[in-house]
Amino acid sequence: MNQLYPKPNPIREHELLATRRQLFGGSALGVGTAALAGLLNNDLLAEESGVLGATHHPAKAKRVIYLFMSGGPSHLDLWDYKPKLVDMFNQQLPDHVRGGQRVTGMTANQRNGLPLCPSRYKFTRQQNNQDGVWVSELLPHTAKVAHELCVVHSTYTEAINHDPAITYIQTGSQIPGRPSLGAWLSYGLGSLNENLPHYVVMHARTNHPEQSLFNRLWGPGFLSSEHQGILMRSEGDPVLYLSNPKSVTSGDRRKQLDALAALNGEQHKRFGDPEVLARIQQHEMAYRMQTSVPELMDLSDEPKSTFELYGEDARTPGTFAACCLNARRLAERGVRNIQIFHRGWDAHGGLPREHGSQCRDIDQACAGLIRDLRARGMLDDTLVIWGGEFGRTAYCQGNLTRQNYGRDHHPRCFSTWMAGGGVQPGITYGRTDDYGYNIANPDGTPMDPLPDKADWRPGTMHIHDLNATILHLLGIDHRKLTYRYQGRDFRLTDIHGHVIKDIIA
Amino acid sequence: MKSAIPILISLTTLATVLEADDTVNFSREVLPILSNKCFVCHGPDAAEYGEDMRRLDSAEGAMAATDSGRAIDPQAPAKSLLLLRIHSEDDPMPPADAEKQLTRAERSILTRWVEQGGNYSKHWAFVKPRKINRPEKETVAVVDGLIAERQKAAGTSFSPEADRATLARRVALVLTGLPPKQDLLQQFLQDRSPQAYSRLVEQLLSDPGFGEHQARYWLDAVRYGDTHGLHLDNRRGIYPYRDWVVRAFNNNLPINTFLTWQLAGDLLPNASMDQRIATGFVRMNPSTAEGGAIPAEFQAKNNFDRTETLGTVLLGMSLTCARCHTHKYDPIPQTEYYRLLAFFNSTAESSMDGNKYEYGPTLKVPRDQAEWQQWRNLQRQRDQLVNDIPPAGGLSPDEEKKYGSVSSDERLKLLANTKAGLANSDVQQEAQQLVATMEQVRKGFTSTLVAQDLPKPRETRVLRRGEYNLPTGDPLQPGIISVMGQFPAETPRNRLGLARWLTSSDHPLVSRVLVNRIWQRVFGDGLVRTPEDFGLQGQHPTHPELLDWLAVDFQESGWDLKQLLRTLVHTKTFRQSSTWRTDIEDPENRLFARAASYRLDAEVLRDLGLWSSGLLNPHMGGEGVKPYQPAGMWLAMAHPASNTKSYQRDKGDRLYRRSLYVYWKRTSPHPMMTLFDAPDRESSCVRRSRTNTSLQSLGLLNETQRTEMSRKLAERLIRESPDDDARIDYAYRMLASRDASAKEQAVCHRLLQQMKARYAAAPKEAEQLLGIGEVARDKSLDPVEVAAWSQVATIMLASDAAIMLY
Repeated sequence: MNQLYPKPNPIREHELLATRRQLFGGSALGVGTAALAGLLNNDLLAEESGVLGATHHPAKAKRVIYLFMSGGPSHLDLWDYKPKLVDMFNQQLPDHVRGGQRVTGMTANQRNGLPLCPSRYKFTRQQNNQDGVWVSELLPHTAKVAHELCVVHSTYTEAINHDPAITYIQTGSQIPGRPSLGAWLSYGLGSLNENLPHYVVMHARTNHPEQSLFNRLWGPGFLSSEHQGILMRSEGDPVLYLSNPKSVTSGDRRKQLDALAALNGEQHKRFGDPEVLARIQQHEMAYRMQTSVPELMDLSDEPKSTFELYGEDARTPGTFAACCLNARRLAERGVRNIQIFHRGWDAHGGLPREHGSQCRDIDQACAGLIRDLRARGMLDDTLVIWGGEFGRTAYCQGNLTRQNYGRDHHPRCFSTWMAGGGVQPGITYGRTDDYGYNIANPDGTPMDPLPDKADWRPGTMHIHDLNATILHLLGIDHRKLTYRYQGRDFRLTDIHGHVIKDIIA
Repeated sequence: MKSAIPILISLTTLATVLEADDTVNFSREVLPILSNKCFVCHGPDAAEYGEDMRRLDSAEGAMAATDSGRAIDPQAPAKSLLLLRIHSEDDPMPPADAEKQLTRAERSILTRWVEQGGNYSKHWAFVKPRKINRPEKETVAVVDGLIAERQKAAGTSFSPEADRATLARRVALVLTGLPPKQDLLQQFLQDRSPQAYSRLVEQLLSDPGFGEHQARYWLDAVRYGDTHGLHLDNRRGIYPYRDWVVRAFNNNLPINTFLTWQLAGDLLPNASMDQRIATGFVRMNPSTAEGGAIPAEFQAKNNFDRTETLGTVLLGMSLTCARCHTHKYDPIPQTEYYRLLAFFNSTAESSMDGNKYEYGPTLKVPRDQAEWQQWRNLQRQRDQLVNDIPPAGGLSPDEEKKYGSVSSDERLKLLANTKAGLANSDVQQEAQQLVATMEQVRKGFTSTLVAQDLPKPRETRVLRRGEYNLPTGDPLQPGIISVMGQFPAETPRNRLGLARWLTSSDHPLVSRVLVNRIWQRVFGDGLVRTPEDFGLQGQHPTHPELLDWLAVDFQESGWDLKQLLRTLVHTKTFRQSSTWRTDIEDPENRLFARAASYRLDAEVLRDLGLWSSGLLNPHMGGEGVKPYQPAGMWLAMAHPASNTKSYQRDKGDRLYRRSLYVYWKRTSPHPMMTLFDAPDRESSCVRRSRTNTSLQSLGLLNETQRTEMSRKLAERLIRESPDDDARIDYAYRMLASRDASAKEQAVCHRLLQQMKARYAAAPKEAEQLLGIGEVARDKSLDPVEVAAWSQVATIMLASDAAIMLY
């Protein structure tokens, strides 16, 4: 996390050196260690901005809470209402609709071909600030905050399997090795709170853990490893190694740290390496985290109304609802970047059972989070994002009945929503064809969003566009937040990305 | 509060200091500007922007006459379009809306360059290295001479030599990843002869820990992991490769051979087991078997990964750009990328791993170094037996005929089974015994992934935009990157040919890239500060002549790694003090006017603790070990079908093996490794970041294994030293290779007294503390005293005197 002393930064080093001279100039280690820690605290930790220093333009959002639905939620059963599919039940997906789209190995050769599969769920039109948005009965609570949401129906990707797709949306590349969105933000913007990690990742419990997650999804790639996401866990220590060993009290630790600072002061006197001073500071910050994190995780100060808002689940550590509540508490304390991963959306078969359970996990908490942030005046500068790595097919995988079915992976279009943080509330963006299979023009005819990789077509939101827009809302020009690695100035959006201005308030 | 007036050193000012005259150096000053600011459009991929897009990456392109004139006109520099455009306000280059604009200094360099004739030369890294003439005879002296010259130009010189104890610790850590053992240290400190240091170095070079430590760097580079990496991230049988790397370094296998075996061991005549294990390098790419994944797509992705890793590890540059289009900066056409890829496109494994441990082709091999030794011995016995026994008369005529043409194993069987003269002889009994033993040992073998070619090569074509389903153009022959030389004549167009090219003395990059990384591990930073990029966008070497000298010398020595390390650690540059200097301002230590200091790597931190507490288990090789890890870390992320979904912690002495052997699950490596900057091993890493975070503090002070180390170190101090003073000194001698200073003594004493009082008042808590970790406590010792000492030990183990190199 906080690295006071990034290797290739001579200016920073110069400052450290100067501070060292002030502290130790000529004399022996004369400052008491507590005083030393205090001095260091004031002198060295005054600011902790990222590489950008100032944002490229005024930021609309100060922080992000990203609710990641891993596995690919079905846009057709949640957000993208396709009534015409009802009459096409069990008909084969027409070739002209498929348009040469590749199909995964799981449905390419299935016996029943590609039979169209209407959603069994009832959709209702919710008031928003335009002409309304259709929401499935699976999300009754979220439906009630529809006026806060910007629902994008035309998110798309090229990847068709989980590992590449989730790596792609999180890092801008399908192949491992690039920094994650959160790491880029940490690198660019730094931290708002020195006593907590600046990029926090939580894994929410699910009844359907049939996906894997990978360190790389919140990893630093080729950026310095201080930018990696820090897991906030519901089992054991919330932050790894946070608690002292049994029978070591906070008072014991204080004495140990005083001794440690004195020993390191000796080391510094001997060799003069400024990193030693920076480390003394990190030990102190760790000590403060041992108070700030338990305080953060202690929900006893939350009134009953909080649990009415998020649901009683929020009392159980590790649930999605508890993660959402933690996210709000982290956001309040200045954590800039919070991501919750909820697995289990990969409904190849038995979609109603699985999505039913998944939606029960998240629905009330999503709505609760939005309302809570609104009530606290935080929604305006907190960007909340909900979405997965791809959508699901309009055709069925496996046996098809009106009541039960499965759906395969679908990269060509899927639904994502955003709220707060400078996004226009209560709108929808983009649309799909009557099959929910292709992004469509306003008249409903299928549209190729990528006739040429260089161009962007209004009404579409490639995952690079999504990431470019997220960065934009945080005050970052996605083309300018770069890091030179192997001769190339890499960025999150590779050479692509278009800021979708139409959804920005 | 006064400080000396600093001499500010930066790359450009340094260059200016050294360039006595005003002549612009094309390679160092001009090319980086052209590459960074112009080549995106006017570089190797210019055709992408139209047939008539002018190219500035060669003299021919820049000086070509067109309707509008020449970009560079050596006859009339002032008329050069390049100058007109970079100074134009109406029609500037780069265009006003370009992301990268020229700075004033850059414009000035370009102007002077064109005015001086606009001469081009090849980028330094594509020119074969050569040794410049030097007055010094020995390489050690050459290194110091070249370093000193640059220091002198900047008005400074070496720091004084480090004190002997510090030097001993430093060299031991650099070579073996552990501080010097107590007897070795004492021997060195007492040996006042001029050869004392050399003797110490030799002992370290022959320590088995040498190979274990050096292997780590290579395993980072080749992205070694114990799992497949993608999707289920299942177990993969590949650890014999890791153990082979350790053996190769310990046996000082010449590095050209080391590389050849890895790229093409299977293609060598009568390939040995070792040579085939080494080809695990080719199989190291992460792989998947995700339901629905498309085989052709992963055939392409696996090949991209292998080609680009080769680029990073041996060519010191990214080839990734050329996957989709001709490289924007470096002269690497897309076709050549796919030619290079073609070397790897014909390996026999399926493109999907099937989630299998034995993701074939695999080879059955011994499980660890001890079993290797046993196997070697059996082979030696076998060879002795079959070579000693002249079969004449002992075998039947048929058997005798066969004996001359078959392998040693077959011969042994003939001896064991014959019914002719040797029947029932001692020799036959010995042969039978040997056959049986070898069979027995073989049964215990494990499997390791190896490379093997298909009988008929796969066709390779350029993939348009790097899309697996858009092959285009004619099938391509395997081939090389032409700016890096010629493919050697009369060499097969397969991986063996590739290895021959890479290890030929004509190759401009491989030896430089390797030598630079070895310099980096000895001095903390490379001569090229971008070890992953020697291309046009990379940093120029701080000491180009030195890099070249060492690269050539390395080849001339027979690619002798130990010799290179021996040389480097004998230099004044290495032996000087690491104390930061206040008289010069060179925070990046580009002048090497002090030795390096930095926090030690994750593995070294753990090994150092295990070693000093007496817990370290020296067993070498074998399947990855699983020390303590917080519960649920894998489960929270893994697919339920994954066979690495739950972490089954090891028990007993497997908890205390060197960190090289810690199980490497690529999607979730051990947290104490990643916390201290270890890479995930999903992609190549040739330089780890070195961070300093508060979470590291928590790990250092609270992690179970470290708590366990602390109490065992405490016991050891109490048992092996008579009083508290001596104990503190003993700990410092182990961790810092010196006695504690008076101040350190005082600080430790104070904490010790505080802790003694604290645990004396709560003896139950002392016992509880001593119950952390699996290893039994020494019940003969007073728990209060051990607990108090363990709290001091925790601090000593976490202190910068222990965790840093200096």
